[in-house]
Amino acid sequence: MDRLRFLLRRLVYLVVMLLGVATMVFILTKLIPGDPTVANLSQRALGDPEIVAAFRAKYGLDQPIIIQYFKYIGNLLHLDLGTSIRTNNAVLAELGRCFPATFELAIFSIIIAAVFGILFGVISAIKRNSIIDQIVRAISVTGVSIPSFWFALLVLFFFYYKLQIMPGPGRLGNMFSAPANVTGFYVIDSLLEGDPAKAWDAFRHLILPGCVLAAFTMGLITRTTRSNILDVMSTDYIRTAKAKGLSGTSLILRHALGNALIPVLTVIGLGLGNLLGGMVLVETIFNWPGVGQFAYESVLSNDFPSIIGVAILIALNYMVINTIVDILYGFIDPRVRIQ
Amino acid sequence: MKRKLTALALGLVLALGLAACGGGSSSSGGSASGGDAAPATEAASGSSTVVVAMGSGFATLDPGRVYEKYPPLIVNACYENLFKFYSNDGEPEPCLVNDDYTFSEDGLTLTMTLKDGITFASGNAMTSADVAYSINRCKNLKDNPSFLADTIESVETPDEKTVVIHLNQPDSAILSKLTYASFAVLDSAVVTENGGTDAADAAEKDTAEAFLNTTSAGSGPYIMTSYTQDEEIVLEKNPSYWGESSNIDKFIVKIQPDSNTQMMTLSQGDIDVAMNMTDDTMAELEGKENIIRIDAPTKTVGFVMMNMDEAIGGPVSNPDVQQAIRYALDYEGLKTICGNGSVTPYDVIQVGFMGSRGERPADYQNLDKAKECLAKAGYENGFDIDLKVCDLDMEGVALTDFAQKVKEDLAQVGINCNIVNETWAGGYGDEYRDGKLGLTVMYWGTDYNDPNVQLEFLPGGVVGLRAGWTAEMDPDLAAMYQRAMEATDNDDRGNILGNIQEAMYESGPFIFFAQASSHMAYNDRLVGVEVSDPYALDLTLIKLK
Repeated sequence: MDRLRFLLRRLVYLVVMLLGVATMVFILTKLIPGDPTVANLSQRALGDPEIVAAFRAKYGLDQPIIIQYFKYIGNLLHLDLGTSIRTNNAVLAELGRCFPATFELAIFSIIIAAVFGILFGVISAIKRNSIIDQIVRAISVTGVSIPSFWFALLVLFFFYYKLQIMPGPGRLGNMFSAPANVTGFYVIDSLLEGDPAKAWDAFRHLILPGCVLAAFTMGLITRTTRSNILDVMSTDYIRTAKAKGLSGTSLILRHALGNALIPVLTVIGLGLGNLLGGMVLVETIFNWPGVGQFAYESVLSNDFPSIIGVAILIALNYMVINTIVDILYGFIDPRVRIQ
Repeated sequence: MKRKLTALALGLVLALGLAACGGGSSSSGGSASGGDAAPATEAASGSSTVVVAMGSGFATLDPGRVYEKYPPLIVNACYENLFKFYSNDGEPEPCLVNDDYTFSEDGLTLTMTLKDGITFASGNAMTSADVAYSINRCKNLKDNPSFLADTIESVETPDEKTVVIHLNQPDSAILSKLTYASFAVLDSAVVTENGGTDAADAAEKDTAEAFLNTTSAGSGPYIMTSYTQDEEIVLEKNPSYWGESSNIDKFIVKIQPDSNTQMMTLSQGDIDVAMNMTDDTMAELEGKENIIRIDAPTKTVGFVMMNMDEAIGGPVSNPDVQQAIRYALDYEGLKTICGNGSVTPYDVIQVGFMGSRGERPADYQNLDKAKECLAKAGYENGFDIDLKVCDLDMEGVALTDFAQKVKEDLAQVGINCNIVNETWAGGYGDEYRDGKLGLTVMYWGTDYNDPNVQLEFLPGGVVGLRAGWTAEMDPDLAAMYQRAMEATDNDDRGNILGNIQEAMYESGPFIFFAQASSHMAYNDRLVGVEVSDPYALDLTLIKLK
């Protein structure tokens, strides 16, 4: 019952937050200098008042801003995010097209980041101040600080161009056509289509961009895991366990890691939220048609319905992830459940 | 236990690496065959598939609405026009119509007959009604390319084969305009069935864009079979094409905006044509077997604009100062910024257009003369001025790069420019169109492939007015606008355009400093790959060796 109340409270909070985000972004898009008409019509078309008037009427830009706002919010309450000024398609359909690409890549990246980040963090804590610890720390600092677009070019250059052991940009090789859209995840959709070769190809195309995007979050997770394990190791209950004769690694894995994982879970959640917002440069280099590219093109075109749509999507991502993380806290640490 | 953990970590890394590099089908192109480019065909399904990589940044593939650089590439392959450019620097030639088209004596009526046996991919026969529908739809959609129909009064279809276009004023560029993607002839039955209309209220009622964004409804040699937005467009051979078919069965047009990515995918044989190369990425391909590189000028031209209105332009409104700036610029340096293949046009008409006077002499820069002109204007000690520039780029080169070079050049004669950056959509665009900019660096892409587009730079023209250059300031030059528009005879028009260039060579508020270059590279198994101003790349001319 408590959990249900918790979820209901979160749901109400989510709706209010989304309306707040939509309002804020709407106001911001109107405040910043820039006119969608100028950004989307050619120089010659801009010289024709009839074309300009037709364009403005089509997207409601000829209405007072307050009317535009209430219309937008009214539509939003009916789950209508409006029409993209740039593509003339429904924004919801556009997000439905590009979000699965980003989601598939983000999930892959966060799995890599979490698995290796926690593993390296634990090893680093166990081997504190050893040469292995130094190496792991160097890797994590590099992962956090390396510019992703440069790293993307680098891995593409070596693994695809020079060594020729990895596939190039895109979600699929040239010999495959996109699978029928069921989930939008090419790996899953290819399997549903009964084409394991295509699924394997789609999986291989995830690896390079996935590793590039994982580098930053993995570095954070490694560092957080290491420092939290070291903190937990200095607590009384660990000292007691040691006094009872438990060995070092067993102690870490069975008793310390659980407690140390709560902040790590927060980092993983934030990392996933960050990845789901789309990564413009990495998506561009790897030719990945995700949210980042869509957001970038929308900003260039002052396509405010799409900009607000992306902002709502990002806010929604964070809120859903935070809710899931909060629920997971309870599983990891029973004390949270009691509270 | 510690060792096990370390081993687990190493094992995971190794497993991931092996999974990635391991067997299975070689993916995107699968050329693990050493450095040289293997044809993309080997990897792609089918024996004659060609993969082309092009840039992004377009919103629609609906012929009635297209105006950006890349959509004509697709439209030209899937649709056909009454006239077509079969070579980049050539003249429009009949495509769907017979050679015996005629202009009336007053130049206001163009009469054509459709060739026999033309059918759409749907199997429908093409009639004059389809032509009228396509032109009227483009005009009534009131979208970006609708201005092309401004001089078209009406389209008459006396019978199924005859098309009569009535103009509201003589328009010597009408044949060139009719080659543009927006006037591609649509299968009117199919388009109407899917929400299209050519009625006067098409701007509000036409809903065919979504349909035309995913498939084609034309008579061209290819059919658009799929478009995955921001990923790829697939064109397959039209089995019932009425003309001569190519030996290429399928084009996969990949949307790959990054030039480094294009360079790598071309080298690996994953693509056959890379359209968005740069000087740097072209250099990487030097010495690669099987790859041919092209550097060629486009008709997109960069220019310096100086406002003729003293209240706005200040010192640069003075003709002597304008000439001083003309002498002070380092044209060779500006061309270098554009990259290999760039040229400096003699003046307002680009190299490659009918009537062009060629290139401005390489040694035109003369700092002594520039200083003399400044002294004559009363600015022997130079002056300070704002040089506004926006965030746009000219074929991949940021306008700010040109502005920086202009600033350096002008500093040598005592003109100190303060570069002011503004965004195009955030205010610069409005100021530019409203003629509020004193001194700026800008570019001009041709709306359609005809020298008449340049007439807008004349006094009283659309761009001329942006520089405060009214027809009253130079009535003789302004009168040439109308004369060029009316000259349906190419020799006459060439002479008029030549006179315009001579008149503007050392006078007026515009200095055309360079034509942008286009860098392409392709696999040598192809022939017919050329930089194309009207179509970006004419897929219909490409063949396998």
